Amino acid sequence: MLSIRNLRVQFGRFPAVDGVDLDLAAGELLGIVGESGSGKSVTMLALMGLIDAPGVVSADKLEFQGRDLLKLSPRERRALIGADLAMVFQDALTSLNPSYTVGFQIAESLKAHRGLRGAALEARVLELLELVEIPDPRRRFKAYPHELSGGMNQRVMIAMAIACEPRLLIADEPTTALDVTIQAQIMDLLLRLQREQGMGLIMITHDLAVVAEMARSEPPRGTPGAPLPPEGAAPPRERPVGGARVAVMYAGQVVETGPVPDLFELPRHPYTQALLAAIPEHSRGAARLAALPGIVPGAQDRPAGCLLSPRCPRVQPRCVAGRPLLEQGVRCFFPGSAHV
Amino acid sequence: MSAESSLPSPAREFWSGFAANRGALAALVFFGGVALAALLAPWIAPHDPVEQYRTQMLVPPVWDGGSWRFIFGTDELGRDLLSRLLHGGRVSLGIGLASVLLSMIPGVILGLMAAFHQRWLSPVVMRAMDIMLALPGLLLAICVITVLGPGLVNTVIAIAIGALPGYTRLARAAALAEIEREYVVASRVAGAGTLRLMFVAVLPNCLAPLIVNATLSFSAAILETAGLGFLGLGVQAPMAEWGGMLSSARDYIQRAPWVVTLPGLTILATVLSVNLMGDGLRDALDPKLKRVS
Amino acid sequence: MFDDEQVLLRAQDLARHYKVSQGLFKPKATVKALDGVSFSLKRGRTLAVVGESGCGKSTLARQLTLIEPPSAGSLEIAGVDAASAPKDMLKGLRRQVQMVFQNPFASLNPRRSIAATLDEPLLINTSLGKAERRERIEALAAKVGLRSEHLRRYPHMFSGGQRQRIAIARAMILNPGIVVADEPVSALDLSIQAQILNLFMDLQAEYRTAYVFISHNLSVVEHVADELMVMYLGRAVEVGDKTTIYARPLHPYTQALMSATPALRAADRRQRIVIKGELPSPLNPPSGCAFHKRCPLAEARCSAEPPLLRTVDERQVACHVI
Repeated sequence: MLSIRNLRVQFGRFPAVDGVDLDLAAGELLGIVGESGSGKSVTMLALMGLIDAPGVVSADKLEFQGRDLLKLSPRERRALIGADLAMVFQDALTSLNPSYTVGFQIAESLKAHRGLRGAALEARVLELLELVEIPDPRRRFKAYPHELSGGMNQRVMIAMAIACEPRLLIADEPTTALDVTIQAQIMDLLLRLQREQGMGLIMITHDLAVVAEMARSEPPRGTPGAPLPPEGAAPPRERPVGGARVAVMYAGQVVETGPVPDLFELPRHPYTQALLAAIPEHSRGAARLAALPGIVPGAQDRPAGCLLSPRCPRVQPRCVAGRPLLEQGVRCFFPGSAHV
Repeated sequence: MSAESSLPSPAREFWSGFAANRGALAALVFFGGVALAALLAPWIAPHDPVEQYRTQMLVPPVWDGGSWRFIFGTDELGRDLLSRLLHGGRVSLGIGLASVLLSMIPGVILGLMAAFHQRWLSPVVMRAMDIMLALPGLLLAICVITVLGPGLVNTVIAIAIGALPGYTRLARAAALAEIEREYVVASRVAGAGTLRLMFVAVLPNCLAPLIVNATLSFSAAILETAGLGFLGLGVQAPMAEWGGMLSSARDYIQRAPWVVTLPGLTILATVLSVNLMGDGLRDALDPKLKRVS
Repeated sequence: MFDDEQVLLRAQDLARHYKVSQGLFKPKATVKALDGVSFSLKRGRTLAVVGESGCGKSTLARQLTLIEPPSAGSLEIAGVDAASAPKDMLKGLRRQVQMVFQNPFASLNPRRSIAATLDEPLLINTSLGKAERRERIEALAAKVGLRSEHLRRYPHMFSGGQRQRIAIARAMILNPGIVVADEPVSALDLSIQAQILNLFMDLQAEYRTAYVFISHNLSVVEHVADELMVMYLGRAVEVGDKTTIYARPLHPYTQALMSATPALRAADRRQRIVIKGELPSPLNPPSGCAFHKRCPLAEARCSAEPPLLRTVDERQVACHVI
C-alpha cells in the first residue's frame, strides 16, 4: 500500500531526511522509533505533502495505493489527505482550532470529503465520538477544545482522522503529552480502531516500550507477587491484523527494521542496541545506566562516513570511510546480534 | 561535547539579522549622517543660524539660481537655510533623545515594579497610565506647555510625559510574561531579591519591544517638536528648529517654496529613516528567538 | 556537615490551597493543590514523587524550595522550621535546597552566559572573591562534563542534554544538602536521559546530596529512587521503600500506574488494570477518597470518608479496602 524509496528532505544544506526506505502493506502496523533529530516526523510530513519551502522533498519512489505522491496536483492531494491518508499529531490542544467547537471541526472533513450535511452529518459525528469512547457525546459535541482534557482532545483528533475511514493513519507521538494512564487508554483505542477498521497504522514515537506493547499477543504475565486482577479486568490485546514491524531511525536514516518482538530481543544495529541498553530496566540493580556518549549530528557536523561512527562502540576504519546501505533490514557494515 | 553554533554572542547575531534588512541598513547610514552633521553643526555650518543678511532675503538655493554662499538659500529674514537646518537638527535630535530617555527610564521602572507587585501597585500605576493615555499626544503636550510655558526644556518634558505610559505598559506586559518562566524561578531559588530579579534576570529579556518602541517614539518626538514649534509653543525664535521654520515660512510657499519644502523634506527624511531603523530592529530582535531553534 | 542518619527534610501534613475566582458573582473556589503530605528524607537518599497531572507534585516542589509558604502543615529543613525562621536564617535555608527544572530550554536565562548563570548563586549567597568563584565554577563545570570554553557561551548554543547539565551544575554549586529535581529528564531523549541520570547518581555518590526526584516515568524512578511516594490529587496514596512497592504495589492507583506503563520486555509487564475516566478537576474533587470514582475496588465507605495513611506490609497506604 505504501512504498517509499530514498526519500530526502533538505532544508538548505541540512538533510533532515537522508535517504529513507519504507514499505507498508494494507492493514499493517508500523512503529517508527527515533530520538530528536532522527527525522521521523519530517518523513511523515513529507509523505503528507506538508513540507513547505525552504524544505525540498525528493524521492526515487513515494507511492500510496499505487499513486505517485510527488506528482499530485494540489487538488488531488487535498482529496487524498484527510480521506484515505490521515494524521494525528502530538499536542492535541495546539492542533485543534481553539475558536471552533470540536463537533464543528470533526464535521469539517466529513463535509469536504463525503459531502454530508445536516442531520446525517450530525449523526455521523456523534457516531464517531462514541467510537472514540468520549462519554456524553451530545454535550461534548458543542464543547471547545480548552474545555476538554488532554486525553479527550486527543480522542477528538483521532475522531477527525478516522472520520472518512482512511486506509492509512499516521500517529505522530500521539501519547507523549499525556499522563501514563490516559496514554494507555489512547493506545488501546488506536489499536482497537486499527483492528476494527482494518487500516494501516504508522506510530511515530521516541518510546520503545510503546512500540513493543503494540504487538502484545500473549496475555501479560503477572509479575511475581502482584495481586490477581480484580473482576472485569480488560482482556489481553489480540495480535493486530497483518503483524507489527518497527523501523529505527537515526539522523535522518532508517538504521534497522524488523518485526516487533524480534527486533527488541535480537537487535543487530549498534544504535538499536545502545537504545535498548539505555532503558533503565536493562540496568536494574546496577548503579549506572549504559549510556551512549555524544549527541546526534546536527547541521554542521555530519560525518562523511556512517552517521553513527563518532559514537559507535564498534567503529572500524571502514565505517568512517563510507556509508553503509540498508541491507536485510540493517544499515551497518558490522551488524552483530548482541542479546540484550 | 561540542556546542553547535559558531556565533559567540547575542550581539553578533543581532547585527547579522539587522544588517540583512537593506532598508534598515540604508536608514541607519542616512540617520548616522544626519546625526553627525547635527553634532558638528557649530563647526560645519557656513553661517550663524540667527544672523540676518538683510540684503539677501529669500535667496533661492544654489541649484535654482542662487549662489554657493547660501547653498540652500535664505529665509524671509535673510538667514542661511543650511545653517538653520543643521542647528535645527541639533535641537530636534537632541529633544528626541532627551525625551526618550526621560520617558523610557521612569516608564520602564514603573512597569517593572507594577509587574512585580501585582496585587497593590499594579492597579494604581496602570490606572494612572490609562488616564494619561486618554489624552492624545499632541494635546497633552500642549496642556503641559500651557502650564509650564514654552521653551526647549519644557518641550522635552511635555513630550516625555506623553510617551511615558507606553513604556510602562510595554514593560509591564513583557515582564509579566517573563516572570513565570523557569529561569526566573531558578534565580529566586538561588536567593535573588526583587531588585536583582527585576533588573538582572527579567529586564534584559524584555528589551526587544522596549528598544523598538524607543526608536519609534524618537521619531514621534521629532514630529511633536515640529508640531509644537509650528504652533509656536515649543522652541522659541530665534532658535532654529525645523517645525518653527515651517511655521514662519507658511506665507512664502508660492514665492519661495524652498523655505518650506527643505525643512519639510528634512523632517520627512529623518523620521522615515528612524522608522525604518525601528522596523529593522524589531525584525532582528524578535525572530532571533525563533531562528535559534 | 551532616551525618548520614540526620533527617535533612521533614514535611508534616504540608498543604497548599489556592483561591481561584469563579467569576464576578460566584464565591471563590479553593483549589487544594496539596492536601496534607508528610515524609522525611535523609542525607544521600532519593525520594521519588510519582503522579500524574494535578497530583500536586509541582506545588510540592515550590513548597520545598521555599518559593511559596504553606497554607498548613510544617516543613523542617536540617531541623529548622521554615515557617518560623527569621529572615537571615531563611536565606541560609534556601542555600540548602536547590532545584533542577523540567524544561532545559526555559530554565536558563537566554541573555546571560553560562559563567554568569553559574556565578549568580555564589554572588548572592557567599562572600567569595572573583577568583575563588571562578575556580569553583570551572571545577564544577568539569564535573558535569562541560569544557572551559563552554562557559563563555550562551544557552541557545547547547542541546537539551547539555543545558540540563548546566542546570545541574547551577543547582549543585552551593553544595546544597537537598536538590529537588522536577521531571529533570522528561524532555530528553532516551540516550541523553541515561547520561543525565548517571550524572545525577555520580554527584549523589560524591556529595551525598539528598534528592527529591519528581517524575511520572516509572521506569526512570525505579532506577534512581530509594523511597517512593505516589500522589493523587494532592495527597500521598502510597509511601515506602522502592523495592517493596515495585514488587507488591498495594494501592489500586499505584497498581494502575505500574500496569499502564508500557514495558519493553514481556517479563516486565504487569496485569493490566483498567481505570476508567479522567483525572477529576481539582476545583471539584470527589468526596471521600479522591480516587473512588475510578477505582475498581471502590466500596460505599470510599465515597464517604477519605482514607488516612496506615502501615500495611512494610509501607504506608491510604486505602480503606486493602
